[in-house]
Amino acid sequence: MTVTSPEPFRIPGYDFAAPTEREATASLARVFGAERGAAVWSKACADAGVAEGRVTSDDIGRVADALAREGGACAAVGRSIHIRMRTHQRLAAKRAELQPRGMA
Amino acid sequence: MTAPADPLHDAARLAEIAELGLLTDSADPILADIATRAATALGLPVSLVSVVLDEALHVAAAHGIEPLWLNETLGHPVEWSFCARSVHTREAYVVENARHDPEHRANPLVTEDGVRCYAGVPLISSRGFVLGNLCVVGLEARTFTTGEIEQLRTLADEAVARIEARRPV
Repeated sequence: MTVTSPEPFRIPGYDFAAPTEREATASLARVFGAERGAAVWSKACADAGVAEGRVTSDDIGRVADALAREGGACAAVGRSIHIRMRTHQRLAAKRAELQPRGMA
Repeated sequence: MTAPADPLHDAARLAEIAELGLLTDSADPILADIATRAATALGLPVSLVSVVLDEALHVAAAHGIEPLWLNETLGHPVEWSFCARSVHTREAYVVENARHDPEHRANPLVTEDGVRCYAGVPLISSRGFVLGNLCVVGLEARTFTTGEIEQLRTLADEAVARIEARRPV
C-alpha cells in the first residue's frame, strides 16, 4: 500500500499537524506489528466505507470510529487519533479567533 | 507477539485501558472528585486523572480545566504529555519549573499555554499496567514536598480502586 499526502498545515507555536493516514498506520504498526497493523487498518477502512490509501483528513475520523468499535487496543489507537484530530481543530480555531478580521 | 520495547505502544496495556472503560468522554464523578481534592490539597488550579494512550493523553476526569482548550479536546498529543514519563519509569514525576527544564522548555504546553509546574503519580492497575497519572498542574514555578507527593499517591490509590471497581467480571 502506498500512502501519499500533501504537506499538512501545522499550527504555529504548537508545530502540530492533523493526523494522517500515514501516521495512523505507523501507530498501528507500533502497537500490533507491521503485518497485523496493516490488516487492522484495512478492516477499519472497509468498515468505515473509506478507500484505503486515500484516507483524507475528513475521512480519518470515520476510520477512527471503526477502530473504536473493534474494542481493546484498537479502540485506544482510535481514541488517540480522535484526540489528535480534536486538538488540531481546536487549536486551528483558536488561532483563527486571534486573527484580525479581514485577514486570511 | 512480544510486547514492544516502549510500553506506550504495548497492546496489552492499551487493551487494559479499554477494558477498564477509560476511553469515554463522560467523566466519572468520583474520579472528578479525586481530581478536585488533589488540586485543593496542593493549592494548584488544575488536576487531571490522565490516561496515557499510544499517541495521546486522554483526560478521564479533571478539575479546573473549564477555561482551557483542554476542556474541549479532553486530551492532547502524547509528545506534549508530562504524564507519559511515568509509563516508562512507573514512578512519580515532578517538574518544578518547566521553563528551565531541558525536557519541557520547548513543550508548547509551556511556551504557548503557560504550564510551569507539574507533579504526577502513576495509576497502576492490579495487572501491573501504568494506565496514566493523577497529576496537578500550575502556572507558576513551585517546589513539591515529599509529603505532597504522598498526598497525591494516597489519592491515586483511591482512583485506581475506583477504576478497578469498573472492571468487567
